Amino acid sequence: MRYFLPDSQDLVDPSFDFDTERRLATRQRQRDDLYAHEVFTERAYDGILVSKGIVDGFGATTSRYTLAQRQRLLRTGAPDFFRLSRVKWGAIPMMGDCGAFTYVKEEKPPYTVEDLASFYVECGFDYGISLDHVILAYQPEWDQTGALAEMQERQELTLSLAQNFFDLHQRDALPFTPLGVAQGWSPRSYARSLKELQRIGYRYVAVGGMVPLKTHEILATLREMNCVRRDDTRLHLLGISRIETVQDFARLGVASFDSTAPLRQAFKDGKDNFYTLQRTYTAVRIPQVEGNPKLQKLISSGKLNQERARELEKACLEAMRRFDAGEVKVDHVLERLSRYEEFYDGEASHQDAYREVLEVRPWKHCPCDVCRTLGYHIILFRGAERNRRRGFHNTWVFYRRLQRELGLAAA
Amino acid sequence: MNETLRIPAIEVKQSERRTLYTFAVDGKLVHRFATISRIRRSEDGNLSGYQRPEVLSHIEEIRNYVESESPMVPNAVVIAFDSRVRFEPFAGPQSPYSRMGELVVPVDESLPEERRPGFIVDGQQRLAAIRDANVAQFPVCASGFITDDVREQTEQFILVNSTKPLPKGLIYELLPNTDAQLPSLLSRRKLPSLLLTRLNTRDSSPLKGMIQTATTPGGIIKDNSILKMLENSLSDGVLYRMNQAGGDELEVEQILGVLFSFWSAVREVFSKEWGKKPKDSRLLHGAGVVSLGFLMDAISERYRNKGLPTKDQFAKDLSPLKELCRWSDGYWDFGQNQQRKWDEIQNTKKDIALLSNHLVIQYKALVWNRAPTARGRQLELSPQA
Repeated sequence: MRYFLPDSQDLVDPSFDFDTERRLATRQRQRDDLYAHEVFTERAYDGILVSKGIVDGFGATTSRYTLAQRQRLLRTGAPDFFRLSRVKWGAIPMMGDCGAFTYVKEEKPPYTVEDLASFYVECGFDYGISLDHVILAYQPEWDQTGALAEMQERQELTLSLAQNFFDLHQRDALPFTPLGVAQGWSPRSYARSLKELQRIGYRYVAVGGMVPLKTHEILATLREMNCVRRDDTRLHLLGISRIETVQDFARLGVASFDSTAPLRQAFKDGKDNFYTLQRTYTAVRIPQVEGNPKLQKLISSGKLNQERARELEKACLEAMRRFDAGEVKVDHVLERLSRYEEFYDGEASHQDAYREVLEVRPWKHCPCDVCRTLGYHIILFRGAERNRRRGFHNTWVFYRRLQRELGLAAA
Repeated sequence: MNETLRIPAIEVKQSERRTLYTFAVDGKLVHRFATISRIRRSEDGNLSGYQRPEVLSHIEEIRNYVESESPMVPNAVVIAFDSRVRFEPFAGPQSPYSRMGELVVPVDESLPEERRPGFIVDGQQRLAAIRDANVAQFPVCASGFITDDVREQTEQFILVNSTKPLPKGLIYELLPNTDAQLPSLLSRRKLPSLLLTRLNTRDSSPLKGMIQTATTPGGIIKDNSILKMLENSLSDGVLYRMNQAGGDELEVEQILGVLFSFWSAVREVFSKEWGKKPKDSRLLHGAGVVSLGFLMDAISERYRNKGLPTKDQFAKDLSPLKELCRWSDGYWDFGQNQQRKWDEIQNTKKDIALLSNHLVIQYKALVWNRAPTARGRQLELSPQA
């Protein structure tokens, strides 16, 4: 089963100095920065998924790309933009999709099938997912009572766009493998979509709208779909990473999936921030006085003292440095951390989780390229340069866990 | 620990009730006797203090500068003292309004910060940068006045902080003539500003005298449009590829060569709209200049393996687009029933993106993909049915 990492222009700046927190003045964004596939010497994902919605931006989702970057991506193609030829892992296929979540509230997708196909061609993708409209409702009882008209329309629209996309693909012999999209509100409605997509001619089908579903609901849907799935039809799960059930997924025809969860959890999750092959740990929060909007507001309104904030922040960083050098014990670090946390948050709520991770020091045992070069900075929840590197590390660990679950690698 | 600082100073009587002291003091010392009066409201709603918080990124820029080879900070910081500070004049020469002497400043670091005898009215970022900087000392010029009235401090704080900043355009025009270490935003603009100057002043430049700047007020192209076009190409286009030696003279000349060729080609192909003001034509308007810049990058990409395009090659590739361009009359056809009257194209992010995408997609369809090419991934899409 292949894992695609969705692109969100997640890069790290190699010129960033973790002790002084400065970077080279001449550094150019993206050009001098590194993608995860440029950081790791070993494979950390099988492919990259690029969404038109992320590249162009739509509505409240502003583009992750500058106009000049977008023009370059379209001009030179994704392999060049993502500098794939430098990667030593072997091929990294690129998959394109429309980014249906960016326009989920619209009545209709804001693009045409032609727009999307030309985006895929210009970018030079290997796989292209047809234009779809997400159904965000899982209501199996609708199979008896009838689904909301809006949901039925979304399914019909997605299927007819899939037909147009397939026709265009055939007519112009477009140079990528097309995927249809199955949308539904129940196992049966998903199965219906799959049947229809196979009739159109698709042999690779992306399953959408499953992000909010519980694992047993996903499995029930895949089982129902499996009843109509042709042996030569493969499935791609959009935005799903349930590592415990990958074997079941594989049996039910899932050939690939994509997920940003390992990357995002590094800095979005309340507690599962640092992955190991066995479990997850909480990262140690030392917010930057200037990078924390809540803290910043309290300071500029005069409710908190800025010098004090900075002192406490510095004391935490210093304590972590000395802890890593073996000069102070866990309790010393915890004491500093809790003083700062009480100051900016009103309470110190992470003490047990911090004690656990500081006693184990999981980063010391991780053989990934990031942990080996970054040391203890990787466990600090602080600023994009550290947080994103931890996200890279998680992606690398996730990929190894996946291989282990699939029985492909001895972990 | 109590001690007394004696700082040589000049007393200047500026008006009947206002006396100023000017002196030099090590920036690293200031925090020992002066503090910042932060703005806040007490429980009962009364306002106290006046200073905003420090801005770390700004401090960082100043700190880098202070740590650089030979920094100079010529403008004085302003400190308000309370009446615990006094001036002791020297015997000796004086003028009707000035005399030499010493400021006598008590230093007691056991006092809580807000009880220090000095308040920093102006220069908190500079002083914070010097405090943090990795230098042994850095004396700064300072102006001080003595008052126990916080209203007087607040008044001076407002006055020094409400000066009008220089127009950006003037700063950009001055940039190429400096060598100092500049704040990062300005240093990023230095090469674009230099290129702009030469585009605007060289006899051989097709844009000579056409770019509006502080010294060329009659120009019809906004300096910002040209800077944006240059920055786009320097970050992502043909100029990026040419700018690998860090902007030495040879490189600058080569870059100018490409710019001159391209804009000469634009002048030739769109001769009818060339030289018109933005209100009469969108060719040299922000949206036109920026989107043409993307065409320069696209054409250069197509010729990538054959070296840099000449003026004639640029013109040859631009010509097929002439038909569909509506710089000064009619309607642009952006497909899918999207039509826009020529003068409805605005200098906004959205319109610039719309026009740029349209021109580049049409260029690919009409020119790039027509030509036999080895680029396997660049297949042609049939026109929409």
